[in-house]
Amino acid sequence: MDWYGGIDVGSVTTKMAISRGEKLLFFYKTASGSNFQNAADTVFGEILKLSNLKRSDIASVFATGCGSDRVKFADSKVSDLTCSAMGIHQLFPHAKTLIEIGGQSSKVIRINDEGKIINFVVSEKCASGSGRFLQVIARVLQVSMDEIGPLSLKSKNPVGFTTSCAVFGESEAVSRIAEGTPKEDIIAGVHQALATKIATLADRIGMEPPCALTGGGALDIGLVKRIETTLGIKLEAPEDPQAVTAFGAALQAENMAKS
Amino acid sequence: MADKEKTKKFINRLKSRNIVRPMVNKMYAEGVTAANEGRPLAWSMVNWWEGDIVMRAMGVTPVYPENYGTVCASTGMAQKYQAICDAEGFPTHLCGYSRNHIGYAAEMKKLGKIPPDAPLGGMAEPTFMLGSGIACDTRFKWFQALRQYYDVPVWTIDTPSYDHTEDIDSDIHEHNIRHKVKELERFIEFLENLLGKKIDMDLVEDYLENQEKVFQLWWEINELRKAKPCPMHSRDFWTLMVPGYYMTYDKDALNLYHQVYEEVKARTDAGIGAVTPEKYRLMFAELPPWHSLDFFEKLAERGWNFVVESQGYHPPEPMSLKTGDSVLERLTRWTYWVNVGHIRKAKEKNYPLFGPVQYYYNWAREYQVDGFITHSLLSCRTATFWLPHAANILKEELLVPSMNMEGDIVDFTVFDPDLVLKNAEAFEESMDYHRGERKRKGLEW
Repeated sequence: MDWYGGIDVGSVTTKMAISRGEKLLFFYKTASGSNFQNAADTVFGEILKLSNLKRSDIASVFATGCGSDRVKFADSKVSDLTCSAMGIHQLFPHAKTLIEIGGQSSKVIRINDEGKIINFVVSEKCASGSGRFLQVIARVLQVSMDEIGPLSLKSKNPVGFTTSCAVFGESEAVSRIAEGTPKEDIIAGVHQALATKIATLADRIGMEPPCALTGGGALDIGLVKRIETTLGIKLEAPEDPQAVTAFGAALQAENMAKS
Repeated sequence: MADKEKTKKFINRLKSRNIVRPMVNKMYAEGVTAANEGRPLAWSMVNWWEGDIVMRAMGVTPVYPENYGTVCASTGMAQKYQAICDAEGFPTHLCGYSRNHIGYAAEMKKLGKIPPDAPLGGMAEPTFMLGSGIACDTRFKWFQALRQYYDVPVWTIDTPSYDHTEDIDSDIHEHNIRHKVKELERFIEFLENLLGKKIDMDLVEDYLENQEKVFQLWWEINELRKAKPCPMHSRDFWTLMVPGYYMTYDKDALNLYHQVYEEVKARTDAGIGAVTPEKYRLMFAELPPWHSLDFFEKLAERGWNFVVESQGYHPPEPMSLKTGDSVLERLTRWTYWVNVGHIRKAKEKNYPLFGPVQYYYNWAREYQVDGFITHSLLSCRTATFWLPHAANILKEELLVPSMNMEGDIVDFTVFDPDLVLKNAEAFEESMDYHRGERKRKGLEW
């Protein structure tokens, strides 16, 4: 019974981590879809298969993320910000700043030597500050999310988006397609717009390196490069950057059991 | 308003606040009665008392569309009036209060009578409108725009810019007072011509004396809130500011503040807080989400006590009045002083900051707050544009962290209380960290 679960129900992806002895041992993710409860049940079932554990082996599960209220099997709900900070501190104890690019929002968190939050800032309630903006543009350009990173790196002349609104951005992308602008330049333009937004958040919070990058956005190499160039620093991303917040929730479950 | 489900109560509200609701009802009822009886009715901006006392002394009954915006927001009618305003062609990024009122006025014009579903009986057609040069240009442009529906006179009492440090230099200060006295004289002249009667200056003086007693009590109540635990939550402040802003001439307002003072004092003496246990002391800037005030109960459940707030709605600091001042000089000094008092105090310590920021800087220390919640408003530049500066100053100089919540004073669709609550836990971690840092660096709290 010294296994602990953390589930992070995000607007795009639902993630679950299982930890033991403060180590991330298993991770599984699936699309959240339109039913967060189903997605939560799915990841729990799948991670138990993956780990060859039974439900009764898991001492407790903590839930986080925008859909945490829908996790019926959770023992407690916790803040995604504290989970992200705790998770990254366990993986990268030297990180002083965390940039998290999620489907619903982007966050920049300053962390102290104990993995506690010093300060944080969350992007405003607008899709243009989140991974959702990329999804919108990928759909317009009819490319998969896996393709957009490599495509962006090929760009020679990124489009300058004149709007900071995802809805207007979509219209602008359509106009550029009509003008015959290459896909890679449109995608690189979106990456630059996002990178600029994130740099603004980082400035506001007083970013201090070393800086880690997590969330689905960290899987997009085109976006990562743009952020690195804009901030002028190298970012460190864990092996699976989407696991960090769920892992943090599992760590919180462990800590609670010990306290 | 967005969340109609019954919220469990964690804030120990003042019993004396229950006196306020009937007073607010009376204020709106008096406006309708005045219009029905053919007596003059004004639609007035908050004018920081100077215009109100003159109007009352002239027998004018003022009602306040900005306050009506809060009433409509809390009753859910604002969405309807804002939609009407949008349909009239006004842009959606205008001030939320103005959109509510323009929509209301357009609806009343169309119906030819007060809309039957108007909260608190509505506001009748005005005899004139009184704008104010304080705070922002919207507060006279909005009434000018309303003349397309109600072609009545619009008067605006001008005020010099007061947020800059030069305004508190004595020459400029006195020049501005003279300017404002002239403005009041011209306003009186305007009213005398419009209403065909002379002002009773003895009545102005009586009202002013009542107002000065209200200010003193209101000030002392807020001083008591520095106690730990804080005996009075911001929710009670926001309720109590209605009489303090619109009824200072009234003996009932003075009686109310006496009762509030007694209750807050008794709580202070007994060590009773508005939130138990008081885990965190919070400061709120600037205007609250009027549509979702129950949201503060959920923060109180976490031990968050809001101990000071909304600098634009606090009473002026006590000041020594000049002997030999005329009644109008005395009246306008208070209006001016409410905006420069804190800057003057800061200047004495050689630390003057931009007006609203100065208030929060002083209060953070005096009330020993753990965190600063900023409410950036989609539709109000005046109450929003200085918030990041205030947050930065508090963080850098006093090691007090801040958390921003996006929203609006009237439009509940842009406010996400769940998101704020989700971030609250992380903010507690930040407040804990900074509490340790302040201690480490020798700050008082």
